[in-house]
Order: sequence, then C-alpha cells, then structure tokens
Amino acid sequence: MNNTRTYLIEALIGLGATLIIVTTLGQYMLNESSRINEAQAKVLSAQLDESMTLYAENCAVCHGLNGEGIGATPALDNPALVTMTFDDLYKTISRGRFDTAMPAWSKEDGGPLSDYQIEEMVALIQYGDWNATGERVVNLGLAPLVPFTTDPNPALFAEVQNLPDGLTLQTAIQIFASSCVACHGADGLGTGIAPALNDPAVRAKTADELTRTITFGNAGTLMAGWSNSLTGEEINAMVTLIQRWDEIPAGIIPAPNVPIPTTAESIALGSDLYTANCSRCHGPDGQGTPRAPSLNVKGLLTTTSDLALQQIITSGVPGTAMPTWGDRMTDAEIQAIVGFIRQWEATAPEVAVPAKGGGGGPPWLRNQTTTTAAQQPAAGTSNSTAGQANNPHQTQQAVTQTTTLDWRILLLAFGALSISFTLIFLGVASLRRKPPKMDKA
Amino acid sequence: MTEPTPQPNPEPSMIDRMRERLVPDAMPSDDRGRMRMVMDSLVLHIHPAKVEASTLKWTYTWGLGGLAGLLMTILGLTGIVLINNYTPAAPQAYLDILELNSNVWFGELIRNLHHWSANLLIVVSVLHLIRVFVTGAYRPPRELNWLIGVAMLLLVIGANFTGYLLPWDQLAYWAITVGTSIISYVPLIGNWLSRLILGGPEVGANTLLNFYSMHISFIPLLIFGLMSYHFWRVRKDGGLTLPKKAESDSQVKPERVTTIPHLIRREFIFAIVWIAIILVFAMLVPAPLEGIANPDISPNPAKAPWYFMGLQELLLHFHPLFGAIILPGLAILAVFLLPFFDINLTSVGVYFRSQRGRSLTLLGIGLALIATPIWVVLDEYVLNWNAWLPTWDMLISNGLIPLAVVLLPLIFLDEWIYKTFRADTEERVLFIATFLFTAFIVLTIIGIFFRGPGMSLYWPWAIPTIH
Repeated sequence: MNNTRTYLIEALIGLGATLIIVTTLGQYMLNESSRINEAQAKVLSAQLDESMTLYAENCAVCHGLNGEGIGATPALDNPALVTMTFDDLYKTISRGRFDTAMPAWSKEDGGPLSDYQIEEMVALIQYGDWNATGERVVNLGLAPLVPFTTDPNPALFAEVQNLPDGLTLQTAIQIFASSCVACHGADGLGTGIAPALNDPAVRAKTADELTRTITFGNAGTLMAGWSNSLTGEEINAMVTLIQRWDEIPAGIIPAPNVPIPTTAESIALGSDLYTANCSRCHGPDGQGTPRAPSLNVKGLLTTTSDLALQQIITSGVPGTAMPTWGDRMTDAEIQAIVGFIRQWEATAPEVAVPAKGGGGGPPWLRNQTTTTAAQQPAAGTSNSTAGQANNPHQTQQAVTQTTTLDWRILLLAFGALSISFTLIFLGVASLRRKPPKMDKA
Repeated sequence: MTEPTPQPNPEPSMIDRMRERLVPDAMPSDDRGRMRMVMDSLVLHIHPAKVEASTLKWTYTWGLGGLAGLLMTILGLTGIVLINNYTPAAPQAYLDILELNSNVWFGELIRNLHHWSANLLIVVSVLHLIRVFVTGAYRPPRELNWLIGVAMLLLVIGANFTGYLLPWDQLAYWAITVGTSIISYVPLIGNWLSRLILGGPEVGANTLLNFYSMHISFIPLLIFGLMSYHFWRVRKDGGLTLPKKAESDSQVKPERVTTIPHLIRREFIFAIVWIAIILVFAMLVPAPLEGIANPDISPNPAKAPWYFMGLQELLLHFHPLFGAIILPGLAILAVFLLPFFDINLTSVGVYFRSQRGRSLTLLGIGLALIATPIWVVLDEYVLNWNAWLPTWDMLISNGLIPLAVVLLPLIFLDEWIYKTFRADTEERVLFIATFLFTAFIVLTIIGIFFRGPGMSLYWPWAIPTIH
C-alpha cells in the first residue's frame, strides 16, 4: 500500500518535471529571436559605452569634444562617415592615414588600441551619440583646452597697418587668429601640441621652406596641409608674417578665454571637492573668510578666465596660504572645481561679504555660517579610497563609513548569533543527557 | 505438432534487425530476467543486480553522487557544443562568447547550462564528500574510493578554474590572475611553476591556450576515467554503507529488491527533476559576462573564483606561504589520510557516528560560526603582529604566531570534549573536522560578500563601487 503510493507520487513528480522541461523549452524557443535582438542591442550599447571613454582618452584632443573637429582635423560627427563601410573606417583607424596627422592606432602598427577597441571606435562613429560622448569627455576631465579662435587686439591691429606691407600682415594676423592660434598659441608662442612660430629659428628659414610646410603640411605631425583651405596669396601672407614677426607688437593675438566645459556630474563633483577642500578658508559659499579672499565676487569672476583659475588652483599662489593643489588632485578634479566656481558668476555680488567667525553669546546665538573643523568631511577624494587593507588610516575610514546601524546589520547579527547559540545550546544540552545505546553497537 | 508450412522463412528487414539490436524484444517481466539484463549490460553493470531496500531511501544519500554524475554528463554534452563556437585566442575568445550570446540560437542557454552546472557541480561534490564523511563511508574497504573521490573533487575544481578563464572577460582575467598568483608562493619551484602554467610572466594569450587544452582534454579525460572507476568501485566495495545491525536483528535477512526497476526508476526520476531545475535556472539567470579582458585596468577588489575566496581570505591573515600553501596543503593531506587515521568500524552508515557525535557536530558548527567572524574582525582591526614584532621574520610573526593563536584554542577545545564528554577518537575527529570546515565556509562567505575595495571589510549592501 505504502509502496504503491510512493510509486505514484514519484511517477507524478517525474511526469511534472518532464512537462516543465517540454513547456519551458518551447517557451524559450518562441522567445529566442527577440532575446537575440535584445542581446545584440546590449552588445552594441556596451561597445558604445566603452568607445566613448576611448574617444575621450585618445581622440578628443584632436577631433574635439563632440567630434566636431579642431582646426584642420576633420569632424567625425559627419553623416558621410556613417555610410562608409566598416572596412574603410577600420583600416583608417588601425593604420592611420598617409600624409595627415592621423597616426596608426592598432597595436600591430605600434599604436595603443587592440583590434577589439578599434571595432568599438567604428561602432562609435557609425552609431554613437556625440552629445553623450562630449559629456563623457568632460566628466573624464579630458576636454581639449586648446583655444579655438580669437580676435586680434584692435589697437595693436591698427598699428600694424603703418608697417611696410601692413595690409598683408593684417590679413595674415587675421588668418592666424582664426585658424592657427588653436595650436600655435597666443602671439605664435606655441602650445603643448605645436611649436612656436614667433621664434628666431623659424624666422631664419627660407620662404620656400615655409611655403612648402604650410601648403603640404608636415607628415607625421599634427601639421596638416592647408592648400585646400588657404589660397596661394594667403599662404604667402602667412610666410611674410612668420618671417617678420619680430616687427609685430607683442600681445596682438591674445589667448582666448576658453570656458572649461561642465556637466551636471562634474558640477556635483566640483561642489563636493569645494566643500571638502576649499570652503574652510574661502567660506562655504565662496564669500571668503579672514583666512582667504572671497571667490564669489564679480570683480574676480569676470576678469579671471577658467584657464587662469585652473592655473591658480594647480600651482597655488606663492607667498600666501594658497597651497599647490596640483599635487593632490587630478586635472579633472581641478577643472570640476573651476566649473563649480564659475557657476557663481551670474549671481555674484559686486562687493564681497566675508564671513566673520564666531560672534558672541551662547552657542545658539552665534553666527553659524562659519565653518568649523568638525563640519569638514575627511579629506580625501573618491579615488584615494583604494589602498591596502593593512593601512590603519584606511581601515579607520572603513569603520567610520560603515558603523551606522541599520536593520540589516541587526538582522545579520541577530540571525547569526541566534543560530550559533541555538546550535551550541542544543549540542551541550544533548551531551549532558545520557546517550541512547542503540546507535553504537 | 504440425509441420511448419514449407513457406520460405521471411528474412527480417534491415530496419527490423537494427531495431532488434537496439531494443530488446521486451522488458523482462520477472526478477530473474531483470537481473540478467543488468548482468549482461556494460552500462547497467555499475549496479549490482539486487540492492538492499534500505539503501534506496532518499534521505540516506540525497542522490548527491548520482547528481554529480548527471552534472558531468550535462557538462560534457554542452561543452562539446560550446567547442564549436569558440577559438582559444585573445581577443577572439571574447568575441566568440559575445556572438554566442547575441547571434546563435540557444547559444546563451547552452552557455548558461554549462556555467551553472559547473558551479553546482562544485557544491554537489563537496556535499557528497561531506555525506560520505559524516556517515563514515570512507572506512576500509572503501578507502580507495574515498581517495579517488577526493582526487576527482580536486580535478573538478581544476576544470572549473581552467574554464573560468575561457570567456576572456574582465571577471575571468582578474580572477585567474589572483588565483594563479598563489602558485608563485610554492617553495623553491614557485616562479618556474607559475611561468609553466601561465606560459609567460602574466596571464595572456598563452595562458588561455594552456587552460583551454587542459579544460577540454586532459582534465575531462582524467575525470571520465576516474568516474567510471569510482562508480564501479562502489559496487565492488559492497554497495552503499549500511548501519550495523544490533545482535538481535542479525538473524533477519535484509530485504533485497531488484535494481530494475526499483533503483533505475528512482535514478531516472531524480535525473529528470534535476534536469528541469537546472534548465529553468539556466533560462532565468544568465551567466555573468563583463567587458573584454584588459590587463591595464584591474578591478578593485580583484577576487578569485568564489570557491577560492576562503583561501584568499586566509591570505589576508597569514603569510602567503602559510595561507596559500601550508594550510591548504595540510587540509588536503588530512582529507586524503582520513581513511587511514581511524579505522574503527563501529559506526559505519550512521549519520554523525552516534548521539554524542550529533551533539558535538552541532556544537562544532555553532562555535565556528561565532569564533570565525570574531577572529576575522580582531585580525583586521586589532592584531598586528608585524608591527608588534618588527624585528621578527615575517614567516614567524605573520605565519607561525597567528597559526598558534588559531590552533591552540582548538587543541584545548579538543581536550575539553575528550575529558568532559568522553568523546572517542572518531567523535573528536568529527568535531574538529566540523569546526574547521564550518570556519572555512564562513571565511568563504566573508570573502565573497563582506570584502570591498582594497579587501577591507564592508557590509555587503554598503560596498562602494570604485572605477
């Protein structure tokens, strides 16, 4: 009787399992094609996500924040590229393009990118969202800070007309201010990516040499050939300018005020960093304290460019309490702080109202705006948390971060302790009982 | 008798002959025929013709050995399919997995089946080992099968570990990097061995090829051979262990039933239920796949495969030579030597030896559950032997002393249960083994869930993500 029932139950279980296998497999098969579509979309979006970071790290410096191109470097947000074949784009990226600034990027040809990463870059060019890419570039602190164009100083520009052949020089200066200053810098004094042109060594070169370089570019460098965008006369004017730059008054082509690009994420980071590092001396809202000048004031913000602010934060101000922050923060973090400070410009007061410390009377009547040491979160930024487990400071931090009691900790502790104590209690209690004899022969 | 009509005997068609060869005329209906069938078949021959009815109880073996065999079969079949869409080269391996997931019909399902079966196999193998241990089924004459079983467990872990690298994603790359870094702590030949296994100074394309060939040829071959032997040995050693009968019962003959259908039926039902469970699980939970392996970007924390997290946790508390080589080596040696250590045969087939053994097991688990986290937290925040004994050799200050701190209480505990509860040798072995194994499980759980960036302790829900 009992056997028959067991048999029946087991047979039913087996039948049920078979039914489950058949039905779920059928259901899975019906769903398979849509699953495959979803999986393909997921692969693409994962590749695009990685390629945006790669773009920020490798390409943005020449092809621009949003793939719009800088100077002579072509734009990538170009609909024509979307219709190109995969092979053409892949080969261009992996092997570079002869006679242009485009180097070979594949590891086989001495570049930094793996085949897989180059495939991802092609995906970015053909399917990518350039606005999202621009945000990624900014958040990584890799926005190209090259000045794009500028306007010549009008007073000095007028003076140039009095020089011999002044009109030619003026044309050349205007071309330089719109096309060359991006790389060759203010007054042609050079930047990190291109050499100075306002230089005796360059002036010593022959006109032929200079003309050839401007017309055909300099293979293997960022210098592109300009014969497509400049006429022969304009190129001659540029040669004239380069050869006679010592006659041109200094400061005629100023460094343009390039705003540091920001995103919501970078502003939030800047706000956190400001609170943690700057607010103690400069005040929580930049109103200044007796220790340091106010930042939230029209006079400072309108006259100081983002680049200058970055420079001040990075290198500090010698002879004052302003330390060198470049040692403690990355460029991206400093740029985030600049972006955060820049936000105040619209509402900044004409005259700063520095916070006065303390105030008199009992604690609840005192001026609460002054920051005290106790309010400051522990110094340290998000990427300094990585470290060795044995570092006592580190573990200290880990403890303070996690000692807040919540229900999960209570549940875990209560559960583990009650299980353990029950087991121990059961064990000890049953040990004290006389053991039954049947188990051991 | 009538003479047969002189008709020409119709030759059976080829199809009929093939069917006859494949399917016997009919299932034998009597016990004798069924027993014959087992005797005559190679595959069924792993079972005896008759088994004792009491060994069929679900709750005695829990079917763990059979489940391990079933998982091996699933792994073999899905593995053969997976080989067809895989190239053991970087980065093509990763692209192949991506393609498998997004461009091959049933590709992801096959991969999920393989992945989850492999991980389940480790759990099941360990549970099987525990079952055999607590019922004393490793005692002579079964000691050889115990050794084969332990060797297979190590091979299963090896198979899982070599397979772990094959997707060539970040998870695989760094888990294998952490896992193989232990090799270089082997005394004298460590660096040479590490280079031999990795095929170079670090995990790379050569490692992938090495692991792939190990994963699809050597290890499966060994497992298949040992598995066949293991099954056969169970029969040769007299089937499953049974409790000794009391004197009064020894006259009563145990009830024996034929293998077909009683044992075979249960095996089939068990297999089909587990196939259903694994299939549904594999359909619902995809196997993890992260970004392509990138040697330049290491995740924080970089963790070994989950079954090595207990070892990685040990490494945080001991000198690597102790944490990675000596302690695990001693543990494996102890497991191997277990059948030869205590050959008292009185309690074979009884779960946890005796009533006292059951109590001591509970006690051991409970004590280990409390002691291990306390020790981990103490060692993390308070104990700092290196700083306290700066002039001492690291091997002593960070190896021997912590080991003594851990082992001395255990020795006192052993003395205590010996003196207070009069536990005999086998119960003491059971107690110590239970305590150590529970401690290892707790360490594994702490390593998997409670370790965050920099391998610092965190609550599982408060682990910060760091890029």
